[in-house]
Amino acid sequence: MEGRSSFSPPGYSMDIQFVFIQLFNGLALGSFYILLSLGLTIIFGMLGVVNFAHGALYMLGAYCGYTLVQVYSGNFWMAVILSPLIVALIGIVMESTLLRKLYDLPHFYNLLLTFGLMIFIEELIQIIYSPMGKPFNTPKELLGSIDLGFMLFPKYRLFILGVTLFLAIGIWLFMGKTKLGAIIRAGTDDSEMVDALGIDISKIFTLVFGMGAGLAGLAGVLAAPLQNIFPYMGMGILTETFVVVIIGGMGSIFGSILGGIIVGELITMGVIFWPPMANTLIYIFMAAVLLLRPRGFFGRVKFFE
Amino acid sequence: MRGKIIIIGMICFLFLLRAPYALAKDPVKVGVISVLSGPLAVVGKGEPDAIKMLIEGYGPLLGEKVELVIKDHAYSPGLAVERAKELYEKDKVDVIIGCPNSAAALGVSDQAAKNKKLFISTDAGTCDLIARNPYTIKWNYNDYMLATTVGLWGAEHLGKRWYTITSDYAWGHDLLKYFTAALKKKGGEHVGNDMVAVGTADYSPYILKAAKANPDVLVLLNVGKDAVNSTKAAVEYGLKKKAKIVHALLFEVDIKGAGIDIFEGDYTAASWNWVAPIPGVRKFADQFYERYGDRPIFMAAGGYSAALQYLEAVKRAGTKEQIPVIKALLNHTFKDIFADPGFVRAEDHLQLAKSYLLKVKKASDVKEKEDYFEIIGSVAAEEANPPVGFFGRKIGGF
Repeated sequence: MEGRSSFSPPGYSMDIQFVFIQLFNGLALGSFYILLSLGLTIIFGMLGVVNFAHGALYMLGAYCGYTLVQVYSGNFWMAVILSPLIVALIGIVMESTLLRKLYDLPHFYNLLLTFGLMIFIEELIQIIYSPMGKPFNTPKELLGSIDLGFMLFPKYRLFILGVTLFLAIGIWLFMGKTKLGAIIRAGTDDSEMVDALGIDISKIFTLVFGMGAGLAGLAGVLAAPLQNIFPYMGMGILTETFVVVIIGGMGSIFGSILGGIIVGELITMGVIFWPPMANTLIYIFMAAVLLLRPRGFFGRVKFFE
Repeated sequence: MRGKIIIIGMICFLFLLRAPYALAKDPVKVGVISVLSGPLAVVGKGEPDAIKMLIEGYGPLLGEKVELVIKDHAYSPGLAVERAKELYEKDKVDVIIGCPNSAAALGVSDQAAKNKKLFISTDAGTCDLIARNPYTIKWNYNDYMLATTVGLWGAEHLGKRWYTITSDYAWGHDLLKYFTAALKKKGGEHVGNDMVAVGTADYSPYILKAAKANPDVLVLLNVGKDAVNSTKAAVEYGLKKKAKIVHALLFEVDIKGAGIDIFEGDYTAASWNWVAPIPGVRKFADQFYERYGDRPIFMAAGGYSAALQYLEAVKRAGTKEQIPVIKALLNHTFKDIFADPGFVRAEDHLQLAKSYLLKVKKASDVKEKEDYFEIIGSVAAEEANPPVGFFGRKIGGF
């Protein structure tokens, strides 16, 4: 095999190129955390609900994609557009029929409700689709790698990176520059006041929850070609998403983006420099953040301090 | 007061009358523990199904029809111990067969020793079950055998430079230990390893690291969704084009679930497959398929074999007394649909047979349902399995 001479045995020196590759890969990994935590964080910021069903919505996105592409033999692009919409719709139904009833009660009622919903959705999917994994292939157009100059990078990961970047900027502009965004931001600060100003805050709540659910669904369908699709796939990633939100600050969009990148990079850098701790590093980092700045990097003071 | 004593006395008397009757009607009872609920039920249900098929077609033994009791432990070690107690003490089974999950099987083995009744472990891989106690027999595969088969055969046929990605828990660590020993024996070079947490969704950083080491072969010492996720990442990052991929254990349900395309051309060790060159195996697989709609996996065949050999041992011993039956099983060479031939070693109660190397077919070569593998090699029973006394344990007396 050619290229073998470039290799030196274990304990090899860490060349810059390899670190670059991993850094870039960390960004792609972080994309999923960004998409998921954006949804989680806007829901929390606006509704004050810690949405435990977020992982289940992510899983639903993957199953929607699977159903559209493999069962109804649709194409991948259609699935990428339709799955988030379907999951958003499910989110809207969840909010307007269940969550809404509990807003006046202490936060943990909704926490319990979403936790229950998570279990319900997972079991339902297991009954419908069986506990076995489901196949999902990378779309033909995005197979293979692109030469970025310093490395070969899979086209599909690049695509995810692009979509995330586009959405993050889009959401940031939407929240910052549009009237609806202003209402949402105002609602996050004081929803009763917004209500008093003659704006139907409950419609905004539903919209925000739907948006968050849609983002989770999008993350799910994008993850489908990379991972095993199975009913409990949302569990693991939900934990890491919480870490992202805690690091970035509950309710902060920019915090989610930064937190997502940090978590993605910590995992990949951990794999190179300190493999046994690769998965623990993010929790250590989170603990440090909680000790030094309990509200996270961009969290609002009123939530945790 | 007097009336009560009379009534109690009568009841005792009736029990005494019943006793000889109960002794006369005493069929051989086989208990099976498997995982029949939760996500792993798809893997677990084959074994009780196969044993049911066997016992229904098996004639009378010691003048009675053989009875079967099936219990679900839902993959929980705690529940497995409860089930074993129920089976031995309440259902009065003569043997327990099966029990996936190593921790669960170890618990059941302790119950077997306590109750002085046989346990044939067919589904748990841990080597701690070998030479554990006089009432435990280790059937089917074990971790040493899987890892050693991959190492010995692979170093000769697949390449010299090996990289491992290992599931970070006892099972993975054990596999790695046995695998590197076997690889060293054949002069293979171990160029790197990564311990990866179970359930890691994105294996890309590990795959990139492995690719940098430029191995001829990547060994995935993981199972289930970890096997799927790591293989997907290897395909995505093009490592699969440069290196061969070998699995220590690869389940049919994962191939079915993730699609055969991603596993195409991969290798795996196995104790058995329904395409193995064993007389009668095809007929068994067809019968199973007709009845249950799936092909039997190695756990189903292993359980079938253990149950069949147990019943044959009862027949040879002419009694279902524990010690004579266990003695009839030990040092015995047998041939069935699982092993051709198989042998149960008396020194450590380990069932031996040759192990196989399977290669995943191309999607276009799959001719019928679940026709995923071709047999590409085998390793002799004595080479693949741990030598007597390898674990430094001796089985005590009964």
